[in-house]
Amino acid sequence: MKSSKIALAVATVLSLSGIAAHAVAQGIDDPRRADYFKTFEGKTIAFVPVTMGIDLTEGWASVMKKQADRLGMKFEIRDPQFSADRGAEAITALIAEKPDVIVVHNPDVQSYAKLLKRAEEAGIHVVQINMRSNYNSDVYVGADWIGIGEAEAQAVVDKCGAGTSGKVAILQGQPTSGSDSGMMKGADNVLSKHPEIKVVANQAGEWDATKAHSVISTVIQQNPDLCGVIGFWDVMDLGAAAAIKESGKPIVLVTSGGGEQMACDNVEKGVFEKEIAYQVMDQGRDLNDMIVTVLESGQQAGKLKAVVYSPQLVISKETLRPGLCWSAKDLKK
Amino acid sequence: MTIGEWAGRLRYRYVPDHVVGEVLGRRWTDNVIPVTLLVALTLYLAAAIPNFISVGNINDTARQIGEFGLIVIGMTIVMLAGGIDLSVGSNFALANVTALALINVAKWPVEAAIAATLGVGALVGLINGFLIGFLRLRAFLTTLVVLTLIRAFVDLLLEAYSVRIASSDVESPLWDFVGAGSVLGAPFSFVLLIVTAIVAHFVLTRLRIGWRLMAVGGSRRAAYNAGISVPRTVCLTYVVSGVLSALAGTLYAARLSGAGPDTGIGLELTAVTAALIGGNSVGGGRGSVGKALMGAIIVSLLLNGLVRLGLPNGASSMVVGAVLLIAIAIDVRWIRWRHSLRAKVYVSPAYLALPAAPLFVSDPSSPYAMNDRLRDVEVIGLGEVDGPEDVILDLDDNVYCSLRQGEIVRFLAPDYTKREVYAHVGGRPLGMAFDRDGSLVVCIAGMGLYRVNNLRKVEKMTAETNRSRLSIIDDSRMRLADDLDIAPDGKVYFSEATIRYGFEEWVVDALEGRGNGRIIRYDPATGVTRTIIRNLLFANGVCMAHDNKSLLFAETWGCRISRYWLEGPKEGTAEVLIADLPGYPDNINRGSRGTYWLGLAGTRTPSYDMAMTMPAFRRRMARRVAADEWLFPNVNVGCVVHFDENGGVLESLWDLGGENHPAITSMREHRGFLYLGGVTNNRIGRIRLAGADPDWTGQSSYWGNRR
Repeated sequence: MKSSKIALAVATVLSLSGIAAHAVAQGIDDPRRADYFKTFEGKTIAFVPVTMGIDLTEGWASVMKKQADRLGMKFEIRDPQFSADRGAEAITALIAEKPDVIVVHNPDVQSYAKLLKRAEEAGIHVVQINMRSNYNSDVYVGADWIGIGEAEAQAVVDKCGAGTSGKVAILQGQPTSGSDSGMMKGADNVLSKHPEIKVVANQAGEWDATKAHSVISTVIQQNPDLCGVIGFWDVMDLGAAAAIKESGKPIVLVTSGGGEQMACDNVEKGVFEKEIAYQVMDQGRDLNDMIVTVLESGQQAGKLKAVVYSPQLVISKETLRPGLCWSAKDLKK
Repeated sequence: MTIGEWAGRLRYRYVPDHVVGEVLGRRWTDNVIPVTLLVALTLYLAAAIPNFISVGNINDTARQIGEFGLIVIGMTIVMLAGGIDLSVGSNFALANVTALALINVAKWPVEAAIAATLGVGALVGLINGFLIGFLRLRAFLTTLVVLTLIRAFVDLLLEAYSVRIASSDVESPLWDFVGAGSVLGAPFSFVLLIVTAIVAHFVLTRLRIGWRLMAVGGSRRAAYNAGISVPRTVCLTYVVSGVLSALAGTLYAARLSGAGPDTGIGLELTAVTAALIGGNSVGGGRGSVGKALMGAIIVSLLLNGLVRLGLPNGASSMVVGAVLLIAIAIDVRWIRWRHSLRAKVYVSPAYLALPAAPLFVSDPSSPYAMNDRLRDVEVIGLGEVDGPEDVILDLDDNVYCSLRQGEIVRFLAPDYTKREVYAHVGGRPLGMAFDRDGSLVVCIAGMGLYRVNNLRKVEKMTAETNRSRLSIIDDSRMRLADDLDIAPDGKVYFSEATIRYGFEEWVVDALEGRGNGRIIRYDPATGVTRTIIRNLLFANGVCMAHDNKSLLFAETWGCRISRYWLEGPKEGTAEVLIADLPGYPDNINRGSRGTYWLGLAGTRTPSYDMAMTMPAFRRRMARRVAADEWLFPNVNVGCVVHFDENGGVLESLWDLGGENHPAITSMREHRGFLYLGGVTNNRIGRIRLAGADPDWTGQSSYWGNRR
C-alpha cells in the first residue's frame, strides 16, 4: 500500500514537472519570421564598385557580404578596376543575368545612367552607394556631399582668413562624379560668401595619389604662399600631403573620406587638418537595411526613390578618441 | 609478302601524308590558333558562366565588340603596313570628349558633331602619319608620344567641359540610335563594324591601295623599288586608324555619355593584343581584317568573361598581359615553326612498285640492248645552247630549241651555224609544237602554255585550269607545264609534270613517287582549260597518235607509255601501251612510217627501283640527309626508243661512250634525219636514219604540206 502511494506521488510529481517544463517552453511565434527568411533565401545581390581594393568598397562589401551570408543570399562582386567602360559591361551583363539587387558605385553621374534605368525596367532593384548617377534609382545611400563640401570649405576659411594669403587650392577627384559635383557645390556655397579667399587652383587628381602629388606640388611652386588645400578624398590626398611636406610650408589640408584608421592617424600626426568623414561601416548597414527593405516591400523596381544620407563625422585633433575610426584590417577577422 | 609489308604498302598508297605539308603551306593555317582559342574560350565561358550564351548577353557583348573591333581593324591596317599605332587609346578618349562637348555643351547637330569628331580623329592620324611616313620617325616611339600628348589634351578638355557635359542631357533620337539602336536586331555598332570590316577587306584584298599597303608591310625597300609611294601609304594607314578610333570613341560617347578620365586607358595594349592574337604579324605584310575581327572577339569575350567571373583586382590586366605575351610568342615562333615543320613533312614518299625492267645490258637480243648508234651524230650549236629540252623543225628545215635562259633559239638551215634568238619567252620553255598556222606553241615551266606567233610575238594561251574540288594546294595554276601536242581541231593537250613542285625540284617529285602529274586540255576556240587526266607519275611527253584518235603520254617515274582515247568506244579512258620501259621516258614524237620516237632521259637501276618500294626509307632520307646526298634516279645514261602503234619496241639508239648524247629528252624526225635534244646538254645532235622516209616531216604529218 505504502509503496503504491509512493508510486502515485512520484507519478504525480513527474507529471506535474512535465507540465511545468512544458509551461516554461511556451512562447509566442512570430508569424512573419518564416516569411522573412523565405523572402531572402536564394536572392542575389551584385555589387559593381568603381574598384575594389580601397577602404570604402572593401568596407561596404564586407558588411553586405555578412548580411547576405546570414540571410542565405548570394553576394557577387564585379570589379571593373577604375574603368567605366568595363563597369558598363558588367552592368550590361548583370541586366542579362537578372540578380535581385544591383548595388552600384558610379564613377560619374552619366556613364551608367541609361544602364541603371534599363536595369530597373528589367525588374532589378538598383541601390546607388555614395556616388550617385543622374538617374535616380530605388535607393541612394551615401554621404551628403554638399554638406561635406560646405564643412570642408568652412574649415579652410577658418584657417586662411586675415593674416594669411587667403590662397586656396581645390583638389577634386573626378569632377563629373556624384561626390565631386556635390562637394564643389558645397564649397562654392561657403567660398562665395568669403571674398577674401582666392581659389588659385581647381584641378582633378583622378582618385590617384601620384596625380594629386604632382598637381599640388605644381600649385605650390606657382603659389609659394598657398594657405590651404581642400581635398576631396583622403586616400588621394595623401599625395597632396606628401607634396605639402616636401615643400616644407605650413599649408592646411582638409579632406574627406571613409573615416578609416588611416584618417585618424594622419589627423593625429597633423597631416590632415580635418577630415569630414562618412562612416563606411554605418553606410554598409544602411545599404543592408535598404536592400532588405526593397526586397521585403515586394514593390516593382524603380518605385521607391529613397535617399539615405550618412551623417557627418568630423575627425580633428579635438574629436580624436580611440575607436573613432574603423579599421580595414579588422574586416578580414 | 608479310602482313607488315602489306600493311605498309596500303598505308603508303592510301594515307594522304602529303596533305599535312600542303595544309601547312596554306596561308589560312595562320587562323588555326585563333580559331581554336576562340572556340575553347567560348566553350569555357559558356560552361563557367550561366547564360553567357543568352541572346541578351550576346547582343550586349556584340555592342561592345562593335566599338573595340573598329579600333582593332584600324590597328591591324597600321600593322599590315609595318607600323603600330599606340595612340588609339587617347584618340578614342579624345573622340569621346569631343563628341560629348560638341553635342552636350555646344549643342551642335548630331550629324555635324560626328563628322567633326571623325575629322579630329583623322587629324590625329595625320599627325602620326606625317611624322612616321614622311619624317620617318619610329612608329612605336612616335605614337607613344602622341598617346601622351593627346591624353594630356583630353585632360585639359575634361577639366573645361566634363562637369558641363555631365550636367546636361541631350534629347536626340539619332544620338540614342547611335548609342543604343539596333539594325535588324543587331546592335548598331556591331553592324557598323561588320560593314567596316567588309569594306576594309575589299580594299585590302581587291584594290590597288590595299595591295600597295601589304607590299609596304611585306618589304618597305621592295615596295619602294616597285615604285610605291611608301610615305604616302604609311601615312594613310595612320589616318585610317585615327578615323576608326574616333568612330569607336563616338559610339562610346553615344552609349555611355560619360566624360571620365579613365576612358580608353590601356586600350592601345588591348587592341594590339587583339590584333596579334588574331594572327596578324607585328612585322607587317601578313594578316587580314578577318583575323582582326577574330582577335577583337577573343579579347572582348575574355575581358567580359573575366569581369563576370569576378576575378580579383589586377587579375584581368594580368590575363591580358599574359595573352599579349602568348600572342607575341606565337607571332614570332609560328611562322618559323610552320615553315620548318612543313619542310619536314611536305615531302611524303608513296609506295611505287615498277614492273621488272627489260634486260638492256646483259641481253643482246633485246630491242633495248645498248649500242653505239649515236656515235656518228653531227653536232649543232655546240656550247651555244644551254639545255635544249625540246627540238623542233619547221618546213624550211630550221631547228628550234627551248633553252634554260627562257629563250627559244633557232639555227638556220641548211648548215645550222647561224644562231638567232627566235623569241624570249621567259620562264623555262620545255615542250614545243607548231600549230596549223605555223605559230610555235610552247609549254613553259613556271608560267603555263604560251604561243609565239608568226610575227614572233609571245602570247599567253592559258595558265589556269579548273581547280580540283578536294585539292588543298591551289592546283588551278600551273607550276610545271611540260610537253604538248595539238589535235587537228586545234585543241592543245599538254602535260603538267607535277602540281606539288617547281621545275628545279623535279628530283623531289621523283623521290616522292606519287601521282602528282596530269594532262590538261586547252581549247583555243572557247578559251576553256580543263584537266582531263590526274594522278600521273610525272606526266611528260604528249603525242597525238598518227590517226589522231588517241593521245600517247609518258609518265616518267612510272616508266610507262599510255594511250588516252579521244574518240571511239574507249573515249575518255586511258590504257597502258608500254608498261615496262627500262628507263625514264621523256618526250614522245611521231616518226615516219607510222612509228613513234621516245626519249629516255635516264635508265632504271635496281637500287632506285627498290627504294621506290620503301617509302619509309625515302622519307627518312629526305628528312635526314642533305638533298645532294640523296639517292637519285639515274639520269646520266639514256637513249632513244623507236616503237610502233601497238607499243612494240623496234629499236633503240644509244651513245655508249656518252660523248654527245648520254641522256635524251627529245628527238624529232625530219626528212630522214633524227634531231636530238637533252635537258642538261649543251648541243643538238643530228643523225641520218636508215630506212626512214626522206620526205617525211612532223609539220606535214600534222598539217599537210601547206606553208
